[in-house]
Amino acid sequence: MDLSLNDTQQLIQDSAKDFVHGSCERDVLLKFDRGPLTIMDKHWQQMSEMGWAGMAIPEEFGGSGNSLTDVAVLFEELGTGPVPGPLFTSAVLCARIIMAAGSAAQKQALLPGIASGKRIFSLAYTEVQYGWSPERIKMKAKKSGSDYVLSGTKLFIEDAQYATDLLVVAGVEGGAGLSVFRVDAKAAGVSVRPLTGFMVGQAEVILKDVKVAAADAMLNTGDQLARGLLQAAPILCAYKVGGCKRAYEMSLAYAGERKQFNTVIGRFPRVQDHLINAVNALDSARWTTYEALWKLDNNMEDAAGSVHVAKAVASESYVRATDMAHEVHAGIGVLREYGLTLHTKMSRSLYHTLGSPREHHRLLERALKLVA
Amino acid sequence: MDFAIQDTEEQKEFRAEVRAFLDKNVPPGIEHHVDPNDQPVDQYQLRRELGRRLGAKGWLYPNMPTEYGGADLSADHEMILNDELARIGLALPPYYDSGGRMGGPTILVWGTEEHKKAFLPPIFRGEVRTWQLLSEPGAGSDLAGIKTTAIRDGDHYVINGQKMWVGSAHGADYSWTIVVTDPKGERHKNLSWIMIPMNLPGVTVQPMEVLATGGEGGAGGGCKNAVFFDNVRVPAFNLVGGENNGWKVATTHLEVEHGGTGRLADRRVIQEFIDFCKETHDGYRIADDPDARLQIAELHCEAEITRLFALRNHWLSHAHKPRSYEGPQYSLRRKLSSLDVAERMLRIAGPYALTKDECWAPLRAAIEYFQRDAITSLHPGATTDIQKVIMARRMGTGGREREQAGKLR
Repeated sequence: MDLSLNDTQQLIQDSAKDFVHGSCERDVLLKFDRGPLTIMDKHWQQMSEMGWAGMAIPEEFGGSGNSLTDVAVLFEELGTGPVPGPLFTSAVLCARIIMAAGSAAQKQALLPGIASGKRIFSLAYTEVQYGWSPERIKMKAKKSGSDYVLSGTKLFIEDAQYATDLLVVAGVEGGAGLSVFRVDAKAAGVSVRPLTGFMVGQAEVILKDVKVAAADAMLNTGDQLARGLLQAAPILCAYKVGGCKRAYEMSLAYAGERKQFNTVIGRFPRVQDHLINAVNALDSARWTTYEALWKLDNNMEDAAGSVHVAKAVASESYVRATDMAHEVHAGIGVLREYGLTLHTKMSRSLYHTLGSPREHHRLLERALKLVA
Repeated sequence: MDFAIQDTEEQKEFRAEVRAFLDKNVPPGIEHHVDPNDQPVDQYQLRRELGRRLGAKGWLYPNMPTEYGGADLSADHEMILNDELARIGLALPPYYDSGGRMGGPTILVWGTEEHKKAFLPPIFRGEVRTWQLLSEPGAGSDLAGIKTTAIRDGDHYVINGQKMWVGSAHGADYSWTIVVTDPKGERHKNLSWIMIPMNLPGVTVQPMEVLATGGEGGAGGGCKNAVFFDNVRVPAFNLVGGENNGWKVATTHLEVEHGGTGRLADRRVIQEFIDFCKETHDGYRIADDPDARLQIAELHCEAEITRLFALRNHWLSHAHKPRSYEGPQYSLRRKLSSLDVAERMLRIAGPYALTKDECWAPLRAAIEYFQRDAITSLHPGATTDIQKVIMARRMGTGGREREQAGKLR
């Protein structure tokens, strides 16, 4: 038993820390938040050069074949920013789906581009009847000769505006089960419209008679898709762990400086309660997440159950930790330039991504064999 | 990271050795009562006998030094001993021994060589049973507000006062007790710890009936006691850690008590309850109800977090990593999450969660006991509010320097 980071992970953590405290520090993140500047203008190049886009991809496909836990250490640090952008969606989520569902030729064709950061993938999964259970996918691909044709709306799609390629999930007319189709984001009939509001990087994707060649179809890969989602989920959890950590640390620091009634407010038990709730949320998310990663890295049978626990806990924890941070900070916390709201917004925006806590509770029911 | 408590070859051998030892040495006739209050004295005696046999090998307090009756074994070995005892429904130690469990490691840190030689071997070998005596009628959360005095008189201290919420059934040989040695002294600088033989004239033990005992990993007895001291003369030698230095000594004691070392004993009742919900009883399966299923999934998440906090603390203390707020965080979590889990069980199982009836109670009334125990467990080893106070200090709230965790071996 050893719960510490190994040497590789320490190095990953250090370089990610430098990035978050250096070229991607708070003022830069605030600029991204206001737009029109985005992380793609300059930082994506830098992140790709550090090899981050290839970490979750095996060496034979141009990546560095790191363990999921290694990748999680990177994302925990990025989560402290929170550094936005398509790194998770493209280099972890879509990469793992392609690894699970793609043919040898598809992997060879797609993964090296993701690993180098040249191609950016986004997962067009959820639809108007939002939800992550496969039954919510109503889109059906039509057969047209040897090709397929996709039409319909995909909604709340993460980072689609940055994508060079989309992985569109749909059924096939006349068949059961789900398939995955690679679609050029600039293909005729594809329109991507970023959504505004209290959310980060989500878009509407409309497909209108979009042609997909057979070579770009991963047919009947519902189970493989689910495996890819399962492997990617705890990396997203690690990102939320980082978010909890920053929300807690900001609050602890503020409560140590801010004076009211001639006393630093961190001396008041009511304020301490908020800080305690925040650190409890942080540690709950952290240890459920890293145990799930350890189980996945070691191909353990009960890994799925642990991933569902982690995803349910981490999503709730990030929201809770930012709530507590707002209790501590009061007015200053909602001032945009202060930076806390970047986390508040991210915690809400990612709450449902890859399945809400409720959906993961339901999946957990199956993992625990409660469903006969 | 490696979360596995996985046996190396050497550990596998040790596990086999432990199993063989237990097969041979667990006295025949040991029965398991869900409610410790139902455990008769002969069952207590059988557990003491097992304690002595474990103690003779140094396995009762396995990671304490060999020279004082432990076996200098690693955390992993202790875990194996715990596992193997848990497998047969027992704990380590197999009986309530709070004064040994908390006092032993404290004496190891603060006692003189003579103290260690005199007090530790009988505890670690299981020859004596020791209680811890802290709370009083007027001093619960405010431990420094105790009133029981120990006044020096020649070669003795004379003890007067009353302690509460002590021990379990069937008495003790010693009590590891915090007392006031300087009644006029400054708060926190007037306290000391003293080992009091319970057979001295003037010691009276009076049982108190309580809802449940919040036992130590199933090893609790069925009651708590009030202990009265009326001019009890204790040899001055028995004062450990220096006169009026007791508040510092208490930091070690409380660190052990507040979960600093992390207990690994899983709450087996939670797994049993989930299994129970999956079984069909009288044509009905609780897990077929979607509301119940959701509650069970949430309950499982709660229990997983608690288990992981315990595992983390175990690793922190045994890998000698720096600790701050993690001890009280785990204690707080364990208390609040047990109550939460118990209430979910009540919602899911209805009155079946409340009956102890031989005919109708599921799981030999383990759920019923858990209902009572989760409530009772809110206060021993400090209330949830006090756990939060300690946590806040250790987190360094209000710009204070972070308080260090108590010194452990």
